[in-house]
Amino acid sequence: MDVKKKKISHKTLSKSFNLWFWGALTCFSQEHMQTFGYLCSMLPIIKELYPNDNETQQKNIQAYTAFFNTNPMLGSVIIGTTASLEEARANGAGIDGQTINDMRAGLMGPIAGIGDSLIDGTLIPILLGIALGMSRNGSPVGAIFYIIVWDLIAYFGQRFLYFRGYKLGDQAVGFLVGKQGKAVRRAIGIVGGMVVGGVLATWVNVTTSLQLKDTTGHVFLNLQNQLDGIFPGILTVIVTLFCWWLMAKKHVSAIWTMIILIGVALVGVVLGVFNPGLKY
Amino acid sequence: MQISWLQAAILGLFACLCSNSCMAGQAIGNYTIGRPLVGGLVCGIVLGNIPLGIACGVATQLVYIALVTPGGTVAADVRAISYIGIPLAMVAITSRGLNPMGTDAANMAKSLATLVGTVGSVLFYAVAFMNLIWQAFGWKDIQKGKLDRLYAVDFGWPWLSHLVFSFLPTLLMTHFGAQAVTALRDALPMDGIPMKTLFTVGAMLPCVGIAILLRQIINKALDFIPFLVGFTLAASLHLNLVSITIISLLFAAIMYEIEMAKGSNNGGSATVSASETIIDDDDEEDI
Repeated sequence: MDVKKKKISHKTLSKSFNLWFWGALTCFSQEHMQTFGYLCSMLPIIKELYPNDNETQQKNIQAYTAFFNTNPMLGSVIIGTTASLEEARANGAGIDGQTINDMRAGLMGPIAGIGDSLIDGTLIPILLGIALGMSRNGSPVGAIFYIIVWDLIAYFGQRFLYFRGYKLGDQAVGFLVGKQGKAVRRAIGIVGGMVVGGVLATWVNVTTSLQLKDTTGHVFLNLQNQLDGIFPGILTVIVTLFCWWLMAKKHVSAIWTMIILIGVALVGVVLGVFNPGLKY
Repeated sequence: MQISWLQAAILGLFACLCSNSCMAGQAIGNYTIGRPLVGGLVCGIVLGNIPLGIACGVATQLVYIALVTPGGTVAADVRAISYIGIPLAMVAITSRGLNPMGTDAANMAKSLATLVGTVGSVLFYAVAFMNLIWQAFGWKDIQKGKLDRLYAVDFGWPWLSHLVFSFLPTLLMTHFGAQAVTALRDALPMDGIPMKTLFTVGAMLPCVGIAILLRQIINKALDFIPFLVGFTLAASLHLNLVSITIISLLFAAIMYEIEMAKGSNNGGSATVSASETIIDDDDEEDI
């Protein structure tokens, strides 16, 4: 039997990618998260592979009704990969919906972890850190810089990953979860750590106003100066590590950590350790 | 400073576009329009005071430098931070006559926006809950084979969820909230304990945001070292972030070479199974 091999056109792949880019999370719910975004981005592909065959379309789209949630930036590689698997299935490669689903389910966890730490944990703080510096005096330059640079990276980065996923099929993710990927992540972890430290020192400044005076009103202990003599910004580091300790070690939620800080601040203000020194 | 109905409606529209379920796509909506720095620019343009808007955005952005929503859990909501919190902070700063570029204004903005953002996470869950209705439509459409209707489920109907839980709350809270904030001015003097606490908390809040980032980066005690080195470079040597990033690239390059060299002696088993590298991203609560 000589059947012409089915091939998804570039136009359809582009459409599929754009549907994911714009619609990954638009119909978000706690129950299905990105499922509907996924369904929509696979729809043009299924329609092209099985034209005028509503029954097969309906049958094949069932695979994508399963729960899906990952980091949407790096996750576009998974969409591209399933597009290529779907194409292989249409050409009779012996792939069924279950195979596609297992692959998706196995990937969404690792990709979410990598994506959250690379994109949200490293790339965005670096971009925002630079942008904050540019906007320090109320200038819009930093915000505009962030809008342009981030959106270009996000759009073309995701597009690249999508087409890379389509081209390489299920090998595409080998890079991300393989040895080289691990080395890259470790290396980027160093950049992330140093930049976060730099952001903290540049932008956050927790200070104490505690001063001890002798009977003549002469200040003999200015705690802030003493602390800065030991390590500049030490109080900021201590408060940050305290928050980290609460959340990472004591499993306190972010909201409760904030409430605890309100308690610390209130006690500190009453005792005179903290005083923002404001008047009208 | 007052916020007119028209201004409040524009803010409401932006709130729809940027909310966590992202009417404008994740990268544009949540990660661009929703970032407080960008929100500050938009609010500054809408309310006619760009420097003040940017100043509030810069201050608030610090608290939310790591706004991650793993597993769809949110501790704070971007639509509330950027399009309810920042406008109200702008009103508060103007009505109290604080210097927009000063630390006090920044701490005020941080406290107010964080408070609103935390409370606003209710809106996030409300939208997600209402979307269940449209998703139920979607399942029926798949059953019936009317696949084209899925586009409406993903791109059309959620606007209704946002009309109810993003547009209206922003419209009402910015319009009437501005009057309330101005009225509060006389009730709470600046040198009283509540305001002092508010400003002190404002100075500390970014530590929570940074700590959340640290939680992702730090797995063992040794991982604290890059963080402390970065801190020292900025605090003691006063380097800016671009310089620190470039220095960190050197260490990253070394680390990459070491990691790559490590495995090369054991026969190059290049494919590591996915289960080994799964990063623990349980449904922790992050902002």
